Amino acid sequence: MAKQTFTTGQVLTAAQMTSLQQTAMGGGSTTAKTTSYVLVAADAGTVVQMNSASATTITVNTALFAAGDTVQIQNVGAGVCTVTAGTATVSTSSTLALKQYDAGSLYFNSTSAAIFFAVDAADGMTNPFTTTGDTVYASGGTTPTRLGIGSTGQVLTVASGIPSWATPAGGSSLNYTLLNAGGTALTGATAITISGITSKALNIYVAQGGSVNASTEVTLKPNNENNASLIYYSLTNTTPGAPSSTANCYLAITGNNSLNEMDAQINITSCDTAGRKPLISFGAGNGTNNVSYQVNGTYNGNAITSIVLNSSSGNFDEGTIYVYGGS
Amino acid sequence: MSKPNIRIFDIITNTTIDREMTDEEYAIWSKDSAEAAERCALIKKAEDDKVAAVEKLAALGLTVDDLKSLGL
Repeated sequence: MAKQTFTTGQVLTAAQMTSLQQTAMGGGSTTAKTTSYVLVAADAGTVVQMNSASATTITVNTALFAAGDTVQIQNVGAGVCTVTAGTATVSTSSTLALKQYDAGSLYFNSTSAAIFFAVDAADGMTNPFTTTGDTVYASGGTTPTRLGIGSTGQVLTVASGIPSWATPAGGSSLNYTLLNAGGTALTGATAITISGITSKALNIYVAQGGSVNASTEVTLKPNNENNASLIYYSLTNTTPGAPSSTANCYLAITGNNSLNEMDAQINITSCDTAGRKPLISFGAGNGTNNVSYQVNGTYNGNAITSIVLNSSSGNFDEGTIYVYGGS
Repeated sequence: MSKPNIRIFDIITNTTIDREMTDEEYAIWSKDSAEAAERCALIKKAEDDKVAAVEKLAALGLTVDDLKSLGL
């Protein structure tokens, strides 16, 4: 029943009482609309029901309704009906865009401010589960979508922005590729740096390295960091008197002619993260001192982005360093 | 006084640069080099001591095998 102004002594008819009862139950007088509509004062206390196959609006203007007035709005058409603030304000915690069979109550706090209380059962999530272990995620923004349980051993991952179950990649399987194509010649310099490293692991091979001086120590240093506490070794060697620990990765001693050279291999893992990284190296100098070493230890420092091969005295004069990166 | 040369191969740009060490690089290398010289000297001394000991044995008409026979 539309809002009435009753007067003293007025006698209510049975029809009026029935309509009042319906209004009290949330129903009552209903005005069907098939096109966009602007609310009028006579809509107070009634139901405005939109029925359109295309999109429509119901506009709310000020100075038409009094504080406490309500207008029930329903959309039974396929087109979305949007409750639109005209000159009045319309607030809601839900949506003002009503899909088919959405409804709500427009309650006026004042002549110029209304609140839309949506009664929209369709906004609740429909249970998408069908199988034990199913999970749910949002697809298309807010649409609940079922993700069936994966198989034994699979892990939850993300592919193209949505979750999925996938078999995990092998953690210890690395493929190595040569990072410095053709190797870098050990000539004309006292230090050889390989920079731009981003690999998870390194396999470094020094082939027939030699120096211009008779007794030269060859070492390898990650990141060229000048901090002796960064590296700890346990070390075995074939010659008494060698160091039990060192700030560098000791490889061998080499000499100054083609018969005095050294070969070495160094493996370092966990290179792409800061912290302790397992390190193993084997080195052997052939010639003057015939010193060979096996070094097992850890390099404790930043992620390795470069390595430096140092000759302790004089330039390298022969050999090649090959750096393989594992990923 | 010129500093030692350093060769830098950059994996990302696939380029090689040969140049003199910077002061910072030279300071690090010098420190490492000095420590290496000490280690090399220790190893050389051990080798020299061994040669001298063998020579002393030879002067006494003995060999290393003779000492091994004595369980030394």
